Amino acid sequence: MSELTVRPGVSGPAGLERGYRRLLACYPRAYRRENEEEILAVLLACAQDGQQRPGLRESVDLVKGAIRMRLWPATRPPRTVQAAVRLMCVGVAAQLAALITEVATARSVGSAYARGYPPWAAAAVRHALAVSLAKVQVEDAIGIGVWLLLAWALVRGGNLARFACAAWFIGMDCLNMLPKITRHAVVSAPADMTAFAVVWLLALAASVLLFTGPASRYYRGGLPGSQADTGNYGDYSALLARLKAMKSRRAGESANPTA
Amino acid sequence: MQEATYLILTALAAGSQHGYGIVADVTEISGGRVRLLAGTLYTALERLRADGLIAVDREEIVDSRLRRYYRLTSEGEEQLAEEAARLHANATAALRRLRPELTGGVA
Repeated sequence: MSELTVRPGVSGPAGLERGYRRLLACYPRAYRRENEEEILAVLLACAQDGQQRPGLRESVDLVKGAIRMRLWPATRPPRTVQAAVRLMCVGVAAQLAALITEVATARSVGSAYARGYPPWAAAAVRHALAVSLAKVQVEDAIGIGVWLLLAWALVRGGNLARFACAAWFIGMDCLNMLPKITRHAVVSAPADMTAFAVVWLLALAASVLLFTGPASRYYRGGLPGSQADTGNYGDYSALLARLKAMKSRRAGESANPTA
Repeated sequence: MQEATYLILTALAAGSQHGYGIVADVTEISGGRVRLLAGTLYTALERLRADGLIAVDREEIVDSRLRRYYRLTSEGEEQLAEEAARLHANATAALRRLRPELTGGVA
């Protein structure tokens, strides 16, 4: 403690630094490796005299920054990729709306459909319809999950996600279209078909965007944040090593004050 | 362009600065109105760097703390100038309508 009072501007209260480090731990590891020491320096410089722990506002601000950094990585993907991801989010919303509608109207659709049949057959028809509707609902739920997963992977800059998107689009959406078109009238109700057409178009647009020039360069070049930008940081690792050496030397001195 | 971003670019317009320098400068530029918090600052810096508007100038160790100096790139200068011109035009238009007798004759 005596060291802190002698050189207050140098290291600041240890408790405050610990508190800040705990908050900074929310950031992605790669980002922390490059920036933690620097942000810490700014935090400590901004701290008020005698401040013992991080304030509420700055804590919230740091956590917000960390969440943003995790959701949308620092090096933003090119516009085409951003647009594709947004389209996929719209697609997820559309599929979710369709799923909710299907669940909400399943019963009334079932009785309306069964009405056209003689009483002895109505129960069986209703049952068959319920099974086929349930199948559609499960399919939709899986579709939503896959789209969300792919969107997340695309944001993370995975080249594989790009091909998975195209494969999912061709494999599921396009092949799924044929039975939808030929299937019987109730399941392929106008609303259902409209939702499906919207989702299909969104998937088509997203897939095309993902294979345009900028997107291809982005994905083929790997993650720009981890490679291209390190040049920007210069001999950062050498600096960091020096900093660590200085700190450990100082820790040695304070542990052994007579030396 | 968000105000924080605009002020950060303005702070770097005169020369390279490190994180705390930017915070202090932004406070001064805004007349004490905007006090940048570290999380906001570094989210903005990371984004600006990714967009190529700023770059890392150099790194130093001062008082056993890391200091990274940022500078405006030519693209950053261009965008800041554009934004400043836009804001200036908007402000002029507003003032001209509010007090035509004051600004009308001068311009």
